[in-house]
Amino acid sequence: MMIVMKAKSLEDLLKKGDRVAVSNITGREASSVSYISQVYCNNIVGGWSLAKAGQTISVPAADDIPVFGQFDELLAQLPDERKPNKVVVYSPPEAVYGDVKEVIEHGKNCVETIFVITENVSVEVTAKLRRLCNLDHFDILGCNTLGVINVHDAVRIGAVGGDSPAEAFIPGSACIISNSGNMVNTIASYLQSAGLGVSYGIATGKDPLILTPIKELLRMAEHDPRTRLTVLYIEPGGVYELEAVEMARAEGFQKPILVYVAGSFAEGTGISLGHAGAVVDGLNTSASAKMALFDDYFGVPVFHPEDAKEIMPLLAELRRGLRVNTLHDLVSAASTLMEAMQWDRDMIPKNPLVLRPWIVGLGSFTQRLPSHLVPHVDTIIEPYGSLIKKYIHSGLGHTPPRQSMRNASHASSNDGVTPRIYGYSTLSMMKQGSFINSMLLCWLGHPVRHAFETRLVDMCLIAALTNGPGTISAQGAKLSASAGNGPNTAMMTTLGTIGEVHGGNGKVAAKLLVDVFANTGLTDPYHRDHGIDLDKLAAKFVSEFKKTKSAAKEAGIDYSMVPCLGHPVFNTEKVNYDPRERVISTYLEDQGYYNVFLDFYHRLAAELLNQQATNKVHAVNVDAAITCVLMGIVWPLLVEKKISVERALDLPFLLFALGRVAGGAGEYLDHRECGTNMDMRVPVSECRALCRGRD
Amino acid sequence: MSLKVGELGFLKELASRFQIPAPDFVVEPVAQSVVKEKLEKWRSGIIKPDILAGKRGKAGVIRTVTDYREAVRLLKQVAATEISGQQPRTAYMVQSVPADWEVFSAITYNSRLLGPSLTVSLEGGVDIEAVDESKKMTIPVGVFRGLNAYEASEVLSKLGLEGRPNATLARCLVSQWDMFISTGMLSCEINPWRVTADGQAFACDFKATFDQNNRKFRDLGIRWPEYPTNETPFEEEMKAWAASSYRGQAHVSDLGGKKILPILFGGGASTIIIETLTQLGGDPIFLSDFGGNPPYDRMKQTAAICFKHHLATASLLLILGGKANNTRIDVTFAAIGDALQEWVDEHGPISIPVVVGRGGPGLVQGFAHLKETLDNLSMPYVFFGPDTPITMVAAYAAELSRAGEQHDEKGDAA
Repeated sequence: MMIVMKAKSLEDLLKKGDRVAVSNITGREASSVSYISQVYCNNIVGGWSLAKAGQTISVPAADDIPVFGQFDELLAQLPDERKPNKVVVYSPPEAVYGDVKEVIEHGKNCVETIFVITENVSVEVTAKLRRLCNLDHFDILGCNTLGVINVHDAVRIGAVGGDSPAEAFIPGSACIISNSGNMVNTIASYLQSAGLGVSYGIATGKDPLILTPIKELLRMAEHDPRTRLTVLYIEPGGVYELEAVEMARAEGFQKPILVYVAGSFAEGTGISLGHAGAVVDGLNTSASAKMALFDDYFGVPVFHPEDAKEIMPLLAELRRGLRVNTLHDLVSAASTLMEAMQWDRDMIPKNPLVLRPWIVGLGSFTQRLPSHLVPHVDTIIEPYGSLIKKYIHSGLGHTPPRQSMRNASHASSNDGVTPRIYGYSTLSMMKQGSFINSMLLCWLGHPVRHAFETRLVDMCLIAALTNGPGTISAQGAKLSASAGNGPNTAMMTTLGTIGEVHGGNGKVAAKLLVDVFANTGLTDPYHRDHGIDLDKLAAKFVSEFKKTKSAAKEAGIDYSMVPCLGHPVFNTEKVNYDPRERVISTYLEDQGYYNVFLDFYHRLAAELLNQQATNKVHAVNVDAAITCVLMGIVWPLLVEKKISVERALDLPFLLFALGRVAGGAGEYLDHRECGTNMDMRVPVSECRALCRGRD
Repeated sequence: MSLKVGELGFLKELASRFQIPAPDFVVEPVAQSVVKEKLEKWRSGIIKPDILAGKRGKAGVIRTVTDYREAVRLLKQVAATEISGQQPRTAYMVQSVPADWEVFSAITYNSRLLGPSLTVSLEGGVDIEAVDESKKMTIPVGVFRGLNAYEASEVLSKLGLEGRPNATLARCLVSQWDMFISTGMLSCEINPWRVTADGQAFACDFKATFDQNNRKFRDLGIRWPEYPTNETPFEEEMKAWAASSYRGQAHVSDLGGKKILPILFGGGASTIIIETLTQLGGDPIFLSDFGGNPPYDRMKQTAAICFKHHLATASLLLILGGKANNTRIDVTFAAIGDALQEWVDEHGPISIPVVVGRGGPGLVQGFAHLKETLDNLSMPYVFFGPDTPITMVAAYAAELSRAGEQHDEKGDAA
């Protein structure tokens, strides 16, 4: 079929300033890819999705993406300067034909190129799309393409480059054209080792019919000033390469090509790879036939790194390129080609192709191996190095896999007869358990281990109930009652008036304890012979705190206080304890129990004074006590990797909120019963105006 | 995804529906009296196996018969004769029809034309690839407009078929197009049409491939017969599992290897990994592609099927893919880890090394989960990130499996 492409150069396919519209943008893949694309290059002007009109996809530091019901609505509502000239189709296979037709019907005046990302589109529909686009002069890529990236302009369409396109794609002079989308990324990474960057990465799509064949893309690469060579990743099937080579010969292409043809291992096995088997094209579409085709065109035998020097004169004379047998030979082949062409590299070679193990745990298996097969972990690139430290080497907590949690829960289930919490029957718990134990099961996913823990949590909840009517959480409940709201609203208001500063300090304290104790080897927080020098830990912590505090003061900026020390009630008194904390501590002492975290917190308060980090005698407050109680409960679960650190950190605030919301309910009941309407209102005479009248 | 159909499916389901003239036929098991009656009417018949094999494969067992007793015997014999390792579904006898010409026709999607095309040759009855280019013609067919009788007639004329045979066959080719486009076919070959000088034409052998992505095929309402295949139990189970959901890929092809069990992600990546393993003596057990962002349950069952069939005999477990664009590594690796744990719970410990290489969203969390499982199972492992090329990881895995094996051999000898 004669295709007359609108795009004459690769830049015409995608460049900075192009405006992209996305079909089915609220779909799972389309929404996540569009979000990342918008963060990367901010080129999406809108999307459409039936029955989703009016939604907006918010993207930080980039334009929000408006969602319309249909493509013609998108065109009608976007201003001229935002009308799309590129369209990406993420519609389900059955909807692709209709959506592309809609684009062709309404987008004649603005749209130039359509990229069909959808896979499993029927070949009949694919052929029809090609015909429709031919008739109305649209360019179309796909189906089943991953998209295109213009590296110099830092813009992309589709998911080329994954979630961090800038990582694999460094601007340079190689255009990558690949049947496989993932190989575009992989080859771009490989080329960095040869000092070769990328001008464009193009995934042609891997369906039986490739709507923009390689020959058209090669012609555009030939006209592209930023491209010096093309790298092709080829799979069996189709005559696209045959056509490309015919055209290269006929038109006398000047830019060399590096080729890797995959799939020869499958010949004779009956395995259908790539486009093979789906379309009857006769002979010469197998991997080995394509290898022979390119070798013949290049006039140079297939590349072997050890023969690089020998082939260089021929390569320089013919200037057509060469084929490699294994993908990582692309690096030395590219270097050889550049040397033969007397080209400078695009950049200093990066990331040499070597094995870089991140985690090695071969154990006694190493005894069976020659030394060169026992890899050693070196520096790991960021951000992975830090993440590995956090998730793997910290040794605390586990990281559950993420999945769609819609209609799914670990925390609860109901088979129609028995509601369960983490698999435990609520009916049994009602008969034999307690509210505290059931609540902790609900929060931890595991039953509590010691009976005294239940008592301690009970005490903590009582402590959290109230701290008097002047607390802003109590005031919240009273304000709501005064306004005539119902109990649920008053309880919500109570919750709405607690936060990071009021009640949330426990989370910061929990984080402090996790940081301090993470690498101490602590397993049982209730065992006095823990073998940890708590004074040394406290001294180290205070010494670092002092440094941070002094640097911040010098710079005139705020610094983070040590959480849960002191309390507003006692700040002006010469007391060094919080009576509610004392109740918990005394209970532990009387019962003969020990909590290493509470012990540490007391030593920390003393050490702050000792090192003159403060001139006050700080009290360990009840929030610290609550945190220490909860950390005592969860620590073995963290060590055994049964819960995540994130969950552990949330527990102190959850407990405070639960206690306080019950207290708020009490304030509401009292106020509703005895108060008068609007009695919480502040008289105008008591309010101060801080701004002059201006009219 | 495609489905192949042979001559018997055509005779039973398609020929009359699309008014394509075809010979009369009977299918084994069939009563002797019916065979006798048919042969008396036809004078001679041809016995063929119902199998999805090429012409050359079937040629050895196709028999022409005139005697009904022989026909009955041969029907049973052919139905029981394996061809190229495949068992025929049954055997059938078709009426012998006279011919002055044998014509080849095929309609298929064509990667050069990016649309459908019709190929015709008067040298029918043989493999079309063996026919000289000058003796066959290919013309494009408008995917919207379809094939017109005059276009078909013109092709036949250019090839040298004129008169009534031309007119009859041109109409038949239009019917072939109608069938092709109405049923969602990818390709459809009738080889040969047997054509007589007085203008009769019969479609005397047939093969077609349907596009399972095409709604027309799914809406046909025909229950196609199931042919015995060469699929291994592993391929069969994975195929059924893959068909059960559209979320995430679950494609495998057994390669007959013995060493490396490869759980691979990405079509392109899988291909180059297997190629590297094969070149370097890694002897991969199968080719796999499990990309496409499978949810947890999907990935876990996919891995469980792989382990069920091949883990007990593998010498290395390779979990490898490029840098994923969408596939969540934390989800997929947690699923693989959990499937591995369950396999060990059921079958007992295994100590083969595990080589892992991957990149993509949730990578380190995925590594953390898998490492935790491997630590629990005391399995040796090496993890690589996306900064190590996948082909180098594959090369390392191949060498590691060979080294482990050599050590075992030495140990055995000792």
